[in-house]
Amino acid sequence: MQLHVQKLSKTYGRDVHALRGVDLSLGPGVLGLLGPNGAGKSTLMRILATISRPSSGRVFWNGADIASNPDGLQNVLGYLPQDFGVYPNLNALEFLEYLAAVKGIAAGAARRRISELLELVNLTDAAKRPLGGYSGGMRQRVGIAQALLNDPQLLIVDEPTAGLDPEERVRFRNLLSELSGERIVILSTHIVSDVEAVATSIAILAHGRLLAHGAPETLLASVSGKVWEVVVASAYLPALRQKHLISSTAHRSDGVHARVVADAAPGREARQLEPSLEDAYLAALAKQRYAANGIAA
Amino acid sequence: MRNPIRAISAIARADFLERVRRYSFLLTLLFATLLGYAAATGRITIQLGGYRGVYTSAWIGELVAITTTCFVSLVGFYIVKNAIDRDRRTRVGQVLAATPLSKSAYALGKFASNFAVLASMVVVLAMAAVLMQLYVGEDPHLDLVALLSPFLIVALPAMILTAALAVLFETLPILRGGAGNVAWFFLWVMSIALPETTARHWLDPMGVVTVADSMMAGARAHIPGYKGDFAFNVVDKADKPAQIVPSFHWQGVPWNAWQVLLRLAWLGVAILLVLLAAGLFDRFDSSRRFVAALRRPKQPAVPSEADVSISAVAPLGGVVVGRSAVRLTPLSNSAPTNAFGRLFLAELRLAVKGLRWWWYAVVVGLLAAQFAAPLEAARGPILGTAWMWLVLVWSAMGARESRFGTGALLFSSAHNVLRQLPACWLAGVAIAAIVGIGAGSRLLLAQGWPGLVPWLSGAIFLPSLALALGVWSGTGKPFEGLLSALWYVGPMNHSRGVDFTGTGSGAQADHYALIYFALSAVLVAAAVFGRTRQLRAN
Repeated sequence: MQLHVQKLSKTYGRDVHALRGVDLSLGPGVLGLLGPNGAGKSTLMRILATISRPSSGRVFWNGADIASNPDGLQNVLGYLPQDFGVYPNLNALEFLEYLAAVKGIAAGAARRRISELLELVNLTDAAKRPLGGYSGGMRQRVGIAQALLNDPQLLIVDEPTAGLDPEERVRFRNLLSELSGERIVILSTHIVSDVEAVATSIAILAHGRLLAHGAPETLLASVSGKVWEVVVASAYLPALRQKHLISSTAHRSDGVHARVVADAAPGREARQLEPSLEDAYLAALAKQRYAANGIAA
Repeated sequence: MRNPIRAISAIARADFLERVRRYSFLLTLLFATLLGYAAATGRITIQLGGYRGVYTSAWIGELVAITTTCFVSLVGFYIVKNAIDRDRRTRVGQVLAATPLSKSAYALGKFASNFAVLASMVVVLAMAAVLMQLYVGEDPHLDLVALLSPFLIVALPAMILTAALAVLFETLPILRGGAGNVAWFFLWVMSIALPETTARHWLDPMGVVTVADSMMAGARAHIPGYKGDFAFNVVDKADKPAQIVPSFHWQGVPWNAWQVLLRLAWLGVAILLVLLAAGLFDRFDSSRRFVAALRRPKQPAVPSEADVSISAVAPLGGVVVGRSAVRLTPLSNSAPTNAFGRLFLAELRLAVKGLRWWWYAVVVGLLAAQFAAPLEAARGPILGTAWMWLVLVWSAMGARESRFGTGALLFSSAHNVLRQLPACWLAGVAIAAIVGIGAGSRLLLAQGWPGLVPWLSGAIFLPSLALALGVWSGTGKPFEGLLSALWYVGPMNHSRGVDFTGTGSGAQADHYALIYFALSAVLVAAAVFGRTRQLRAN
């Protein structure tokens, strides 16, 4: 089971470059795709889900080009788009039955699967209510259920936890972890903690370019020994921000505790910290920004 | 916003800009250009008992203005009846609803935007009128006042009224959707016939009768034996052209102050309609719909940390999430089946889902009428009405994915064009057959299989038309408007060829049935091409 992305680019109009020569190679596991808004994450997801076509480059699913043979991938694909609709007059059960028929899942297997999925996403009690009356979080859970209908080998989920309450978010994270064993899961988000919890590998996209791709440990190693905590007066915080990359701050009675990512200690009182994925992510983005501006990191 | 004028103009400007920056606006102008071309090349004419006057500036101005009034008001309504719906779909409405913007300012802004779009079409047609006089050249004297004043006095008030009615329809829940699109066709027919049916010629929102009265008065003076006929119609090359009366130089309606005031009064009526619409507007409060469904679901107990962490020790092959352990059964055969029958049934269910009991009661009544009425009535107007009753079921075909945003879910499944689209089409044909089974079975018994051919062609043609229009437009409006017109002209007025039940075509029914079969094939091919294009367009 392999997904290869080869020099993938997507341009809208003449000069809007959503993706610029992205190369990726994925095997079973959860890929956490991180990036700021407008990084090209959704565009990449849509191309991988055969909804969009790339301007150049190719995507291979188990060696077959998905542009010339989309069916091979579509039969084993589960896709949860960032923004999707439902038929308001159907209930969740009917909607999933409809999509099961569209995906060509045999009737008996579909019935059993739908029942399990409704339980899984905690919608059994609401299964016979029209979708038009569902809250945003409930619709999102219907979306999660439909993505899992055909027991997909490639599961692509774009901002899946948007609109979910904390409890459902935890449930979904756990679900992704359990599902990842024998399939490829691509989780696109800008919530680093979601990725931290489940990803077996991480890719960072910014301005359509792949900045980094590797195991979480590799990314963490890139900022190892570069994360510091300094305590400064509130008034000094803007000056500190000017000089260093600050990944978080917390106001305490003794001043502001700032988490700084820097090659050298940002002050004599600075205390070295264990790096987090958020530090690594922000450092990668900052490095790309400095490079674009011609500034040494 | 404290300044209502500023608020109204801001709403109108934003809405108008959003519209004109869409590709579909070019199609709107193209439609106006085609209308202008049809008028300029003599395909749309005014005939007075088979005669017409010389194409003076006044004649051309009134001809093109009436063309504008009739066609742009009919089609333009469908074009502009989406201003509030767009805010609902894009959720901009939610943002606006949270501002101090008043409902009347919002409605007036949308009305102004609707009018601006319709007025842009009027401008295109006014330019076509100038070109027409230069092209035809029957009267070399170009009188711009006579040529263009009909657009101001006749066409624009009709557009104002159309723009206001579009806002009103959007705020009335019952007229917001497809039912409103069908209702508009009949309201439009009524508005043209209003002065005649009420015998009050001043009650003329479209301005057609006022112009006709003036032309007929001129005709009486110049055409010997003129009996008071007035025909405004679309002609084809096979039709006999109107004879020109060289002495008949009509100089236009001699508008008096009272008549001009009457035309201006429609602006007042329009503003009243918009204010009524504002009163009825729900201000994007979606809680008024699905009220029953909005009862809160049973909330599960909040899991403890221990519950949540159970997933870490979930048994292999199963998934344990939070409080409840759920085992997902792997699908034994990963290769999808090609169960087309199930997909067909799913499409059939989707097509009729949400219809109320009274909808089915009317179907039962129409079926009973097909069995009980004389065969000619059963296979003609009654069958036509039964199929007309399906308009909202069919108009969703091909457009549902766009309307509800389910495209991303459906289009990422395998063989969408080869499976889902045919299943949707077949469901539409099956519904036509079921609702028309009374007339169909009687035709079969009375005339055998050959007698069933026109019936079958209609049952196939209408869903094919719906599917093609739905796929290409992404909305049900074109089909809803077109079927209303076809039903009125065809089964109800027995027009040869247009009557999709075949009755109006008499002995040539089989000939037209073949044409309908061929058209259906073209339409289905167009739908397949359109859907394939949608899949590749991103």
